[in-house]
Amino acid sequence: MNLDLLFKIAGVGILISVFHTALKQAGKEDMAHLCTLAGFAIVLLWVVQLLGQLFTTVQGVFKLF
Amino acid sequence: MWLKLMGSAFVVAAGTCIGFTLAGRYAERPQQIRQLISCLTALKSYVGYVSMPLPEALVRSAHGVEGPVREFMEHTAETLKKSGWLSPREAMASALQKVGPRLVFHRPESELCLLLGSNLGFTNREEQQKYLTMVVDELQKIEQDSIKLRDQNVKMYRYLGICGGMMIAILLV
Repeated sequence: MNLDLLFKIAGVGILISVFHTALKQAGKEDMAHLCTLAGFAIVLLWVVQLLGQLFTTVQGVFKLF
Repeated sequence: MWLKLMGSAFVVAAGTCIGFTLAGRYAERPQQIRQLISCLTALKSYVGYVSMPLPEALVRSAHGVEGPVREFMEHTAETLKKSGWLSPREAMASALQKVGPRLVFHRPESELCLLLGSNLGFTNREEQQKYLTMVVDELQKIEQDSIKLRDQNVKMYRYLGICGGMMIAILLV
C-alpha cells in the first residue's frame, strides 16, 4: 500500500485543525465548520478511491462476479 | 523531486504573502483612520480660525501625516486648484479613485469622506466646524470598530495564508 496517502491525510488533518482554531478564535464558527467539512470531503474523495480498489480486490479474490 | 520541493516552497511562500498582505490591510486601517482624524481636526482649525481657502487648508492639514492619507488630501487640493469648477465632493471622489488602491478605507470611511466633501465650503464657518466635529466623532467610532476587527482578523489571515499555501502544496503533490 502506498504510504504517501496516509501522510497526506495526516497533513490535511493537521492543517484543517489549525484552520478551524484560527477561524474559531476570529469568531467565525460557521466558516470553521465549513472548512472542516471541506477537509473531510477532500479526504473522503481520496479514501473512496482506495475503498473502490478494495472492493474490486475482494470481488476478484472470492470470484464474486 | 527537487522540482516538486521548489514548487511547494513557492506555493507556500505565495500563500504566506497573500495572508500577510490581507493581514497588513487590516492592521493599517486604524492607523489611516487616525491620520484622517488628525487631518480633519487640523482642517477644522484652518477653516474656523484662519479662514484659509480650502485647497491650501487641505494641503496644510496633511503636513503632519505621511503615506496615502497625505496623498489623498494633496490630490483633493490639487484637483480643486486645477479644476475650479469641480465641487469638493467631486474632487474627493476623484482623489479616492486615484489613491484608492493604497488607501485601506472600507465603505463607511469613503462614504463619510464624500459626505464631508458635499458639505465643505458651502456653509458658513460655524456650520462647517460643526459638521467637521460630527465627521470626526463618526470616524472615532469607526476607528474603535476597526481596532476590534484588526485584533480579530490579523492573526487569522496570517494563519490562513500559511496553512492555505501548505494545503494547496499537499493537494498538488
